Amino acid sequence: MFRRFAISGILLWCALDASARTRQHYGGTLRVEVQSDPWQGPDGIARQLTMDGLTQMDTVGTVQPALSSRWESQNEDHRWQFWIRGNVQFHDGTPLTADAVVASLTQSCKYGCPWTKVHAVGQSIVFTTDQAIPDLPAQLAQAKFLISHQDAQGSLEGTGAFRAAGFPNGVMVFTANDDHWSGRPFIDTVEVRPRRTIRDQWMDMSIGRTDVVEIPPEMLRQASQQHLAVLSSGPENLLLLQLGSTGPLSNPQLRQAVALAVDRNALYNVIFQRQGEIAASLLPSVLSGYTFLFPPERNLNRAHELRGGAKPSQLTVTVEDGNPAMQLSAERIVLNLREAGFQVQIVSFGGNMQPDIVLKQIHLETNDPWAALDEIVQSSGQRVSIHGTDTASLYRTEKDFLATYTVVPLLWLPRAYAISERVRDLHLSVDGSPIIADATIEDVK
Amino acid sequence: MSLRQKLLLMFSITVVGAVAAVGWTVSVRVRRVFDRLDQNQTAAFISQFRHEFQHRADDIASKLDRMAASDRLTRMAFDLTQGGDPATFLREAPDLAQEYQLDFLEIVNSDGAIVSSAQWPARFGYKETALSAIGKPPFLKREELSDGSFQTGLFAARSVPATGSSIYVVGGVKLDNDFLADVPVPTGTGVYLYQNEGNVFDARQLSAAKGDVQEAAKYQALIDVARTTAKEANRVVYLTARREDSVNATAIPLKGEDDSVIAVLLIANSRRDMVEVQNHIRAITYGVAGGGILFAIAASLWIAAKVSRPIEQLARAASEVAEGNWNTQVDVNSRGEVGTLATSFNHMTSQIVEQRERLVQSERVAAWRELARRLAHELKNPLFPLQLTVENMVRARQLSPSEFDEVFEESTATLKSELANLNTIIGRFSDFSKMPKPEATTTHARDIIRRVLTLYEPTLREREAPIELQADLGEDPLAINADAELLHRALSNLVLNAIDAMPEGGLLTVSAQHKDGIVRIRIADTGKGLTPEECDRLFTPYYTTKEYGTGLGLAIVQSVVADHRGTIFVESIPGNGASFVIDLPAANEAST
Repeated sequence: MFRRFAISGILLWCALDASARTRQHYGGTLRVEVQSDPWQGPDGIARQLTMDGLTQMDTVGTVQPALSSRWESQNEDHRWQFWIRGNVQFHDGTPLTADAVVASLTQSCKYGCPWTKVHAVGQSIVFTTDQAIPDLPAQLAQAKFLISHQDAQGSLEGTGAFRAAGFPNGVMVFTANDDHWSGRPFIDTVEVRPRRTIRDQWMDMSIGRTDVVEIPPEMLRQASQQHLAVLSSGPENLLLLQLGSTGPLSNPQLRQAVALAVDRNALYNVIFQRQGEIAASLLPSVLSGYTFLFPPERNLNRAHELRGGAKPSQLTVTVEDGNPAMQLSAERIVLNLREAGFQVQIVSFGGNMQPDIVLKQIHLETNDPWAALDEIVQSSGQRVSIHGTDTASLYRTEKDFLATYTVVPLLWLPRAYAISERVRDLHLSVDGSPIIADATIEDVK
Repeated sequence: MSLRQKLLLMFSITVVGAVAAVGWTVSVRVRRVFDRLDQNQTAAFISQFRHEFQHRADDIASKLDRMAASDRLTRMAFDLTQGGDPATFLREAPDLAQEYQLDFLEIVNSDGAIVSSAQWPARFGYKETALSAIGKPPFLKREELSDGSFQTGLFAARSVPATGSSIYVVGGVKLDNDFLADVPVPTGTGVYLYQNEGNVFDARQLSAAKGDVQEAAKYQALIDVARTTAKEANRVVYLTARREDSVNATAIPLKGEDDSVIAVLLIANSRRDMVEVQNHIRAITYGVAGGGILFAIAASLWIAAKVSRPIEQLARAASEVAEGNWNTQVDVNSRGEVGTLATSFNHMTSQIVEQRERLVQSERVAAWRELARRLAHELKNPLFPLQLTVENMVRARQLSPSEFDEVFEESTATLKSELANLNTIIGRFSDFSKMPKPEATTTHARDIIRRVLTLYEPTLREREAPIELQADLGEDPLAINADAELLHRALSNLVLNAIDAMPEGGLLTVSAQHKDGIVRIRIADTGKGLTPEECDRLFTPYYTTKEYGTGLGLAIVQSVVADHRGTIFVESIPGNGASFVIDLPAANEAST
C-alpha cells in the first residue's frame, strides 16, 4: 500500500514538474549576439523586435494578419484593400493610422514597389497595381515592409512586441511591450550585443554569457560536433552570382560560359560542408518542386567553346558580404573561371568601378513561389512578367529569366542559431528569423 | 718663345706632371683598397645570408617534422586515408600555419589533391606539384597566391604516414623583406630582393628590407645578367649623375628545385666613401698643381727679372751697337754672372769707341800716307818726263837753232801733255775729296736703274762686240731713301766697269728685288772674273785692274753706298764673271 502510494506520489511529482517545465513563464532576459548591426537591413533583429507589418508569416508559411486585421482583393488582384487593426499605438504613444502606414510603406519602398500606388482610405490602405499581384499579402509580410514612424527626436518607432530601451555599455536593450496588440511577450528584456564575431559568440555561449548565437551554414557541422543546440531553417538564403549585362559580359555567350564554369559541388561539399542544397534554379525545391529540371553540373569544355578564341578583358568579381565563407567562395569561383580561360580579379565591394560579377546572398522572406521569384529577380534590379499562376507558368518564367544568365544560382543555404539550455520555445519563422516574442527563459520561476 | 715662357712651361709641366702622377697613383690605390673592402663586406654578408638561410631551412624542416609527428596530423592522416571527408579539414592548414608560425602550409591527400591551404584556401581539390620534394632538404619555390601574384618562399615537404598510405604537408616561410631584415646589414650596404616572376624585368619586384628601393630601374642590367645566366654578377651601378651615389652591386641568383632562378639577391655597397676620398685626393692634387703653377709663374717672373731682362737689355744694346751706336751702355743691376756680363759689355763698347777713334785716327793717317804715296806716285810719273824734257831743253841750247827748235817743239808738246795729265790727276783727287753729302729723298730704285740702263743701252748695242743686256727689275717700286743723282753715279760706275770687263762682248745682267726690308741691286758681267785677292782689294782707293784707271771708281761707289747706309760686295769666280751686289735699306712704307 505504502509502496503504491509512494509510486503514485513520485509519478504525480514528475508530472507536476514536467508540466511546470512545459508551462511558459513570464520574465527573464534573453541575450542575443549577432555579427551585424541589428538595425541594418530589412531583416535586422532590432527591426523585427520593435516593428510589425501589415501581415506576417506563421511557422508553416501561412500569411496571418498583423497590423491589418483583414484584406481583400478586387479587380483580379489589381486592387487590394487592407483594414488597419484598431487601438494600436506606436511605442511613443502615437496611434497607428492608415496615413502613418502609407507614409511608412512609401518611405520603405521607393524603387521597385510591387504596387503602382498606395493610399489611405479611412482606416484602410488601398494598393493599386498595373499588373496583378496575387501574393501581395505574402509580400507585405516581408521585413522590408515593416511599419514604423519617426518620433519627435527622429528615431524610428514601431508597434512591435518589444520597444527599444537604450544602448548601455554597447548592448541594445529592448523591453517587453505590455500593450502589444498580440499580447505581452513572455520575456521581459532582450539584450542584443551587436558586431560580435562568430568565434566570440561561440565563446560567450560556451561560458554562458549569451543565449542565442548565429551559426553560419558552413559551421553547422562543427556546431553539431560540439553538441550545440541548433535551430536551423530550411533553404532561406540563395547564394548567387549576379552578372553584369554590360561591359565585358555584354555577350550572353560569355555569361553562359561563366555559369557553366562554376563548380557548385566544391562550394557545397567543402566550403559549406554539405549544408543547404545545390541550386541551379532560383526557387528551392521545397517551393517549386522542379529544381531537377535545371542541371547544376559544371561543363568546363562547353564553357571553353562558348568563350571561343576571344580573350575578354579582365573580369572583376566582388563579394557583397565579406564573411570568410563568401570570400572563400569568391576565390574558388575565380579559380573556376581562370580554368575556363577568363582573367579574373577580386575587387573590394563598394569601389568606384562597377564590378562585372557580384557574389551575393538573397534572403527569402516568403514561401510563396511567385513572391519568392519576384523577390529574387528584383534583388538583381530586374523584373519578370508573370503569365499565369500555375507551376508550368512559374517554370517557364524562371527558365526564361535564367536563360539571360544575368543571375547564376549556386546554393540554397539555411539560417541557423545555437541556443542555450535556458531558452525554451524559440522557433524560427518561415524566413529563418527567430520568433523571440514566443520564447521563454527556463530558469525564471 | 721667350725665356720666361719657357721657364713657366717647364716648371708647370714638371709640377703638374709630378702631382698628377702621384694623385693618379694614390687614387688607383685607394680604389683598389675600397674594392677589396667591398668584396670582403659582400662575402661576409653572403656568408651571413647563407647562414640565416640555412637556419630558416632547418627551422622549417623541424617544424614540419614536428607537425607531421603531432597527434593532430596523425589523426587527420588516419581519417583521410580511411576515406574520411577532406572537407572537414578545410580550415586546418590556416590554423596549423598560425600555430607553427609558417607563412605557407598545405595539407595534401594521398592522391596529391590539396585538402587545406593556408595561403590559398580556395585551392582545395587541386593537385600540389611539390610532392617530388618529399623528404628532401628545404627548397626555394615561387608560390602563386589567390590575387594572382607570386611570392617566393623557402619550403619543405614531409609525409604523414598512416595505415599503408600517407598524407603530406608542404610548408614554408616567405623569402621577403622580413627575411632580409633579420640578416644584419653593414652600414652603407643595401640589400634587396628581386622576385623573378616573368621574362621581363619589373622594377616593382625589387624590394628592400626597409623602405623602397631608390632608382630600382638602374639595377635592371645587373639583375638581367643574373637572371639569364643564373650566375653571380657584379658591376658598378650609377644611381644618379653623381659618382657619390654609385654603388658596387653584386647580384646572386637564388635557384629553385629545378635550377630555375626564383629570385635574385642584390647586395649594393655604397661607393660614397671611396668617391669622397678620391674627390679629396683630386682636390688636393688640383690645389697642389695650382699652387705649383703659381709658384712656376712667380719663379719664372723672378728668373725673368733677374736673368732674362738683363739679357734682353744686353741684346738691345748689342743691336744698337750693330746699328752704329757704339757708345751704348747697359745698367748693371746684379752682381752675378749677368752683372759681370753687363760690365764686360760696357767695357767692350767703351773699348770699341776708343779703338774706333784710334782706328779712325790711324786710318786717317794711313789714308793721308796712302794719299801722299799715291799722289807722289801719280805725280812722279808725269814729273819725271817733265824733268827730262827740261833737261833736254837745257842741253838743246847747245844745238843749232833749228835743232833747238825741233827739240823745243817736242819738249813743249811733251810738257803740255804731261801737264794735262797732272791736271787730270789733280782733278780726280779734287773730285774724290769733294764727294758731296747725299741728299736723301724717297725715290724708286727701279727708276734710277732704268735711267742708267737707258743711258748705256745704246753703247752696249753699238760696240764691235755687243753686250746683251738682261734686266730683271720686277714690278715693285723698290722704294728707298737715297740721293738719286749719287746713286745714279754709283750705278753708272758699276755698269762701266762691267762693260770694261767684257771686251769680247757678253751678257750684262741687272736685277733688283726687295726682301726683308732690303733692296738688293745686282750688276753681273760675264767677263774673266776676279781672284779672291782682287775681290779683297777692289774697293781700296787707287787699286785698279785696268791698264788705265785711277782706282777711285769703286771707292767712290763704296763711299756712296756707305753714305746711304748700305753695303756693297762682290761675288766672283775667275773665268765666270763677277757680280757686284748693293744692299740698301728699303724706305718705310708709310713714308711712300
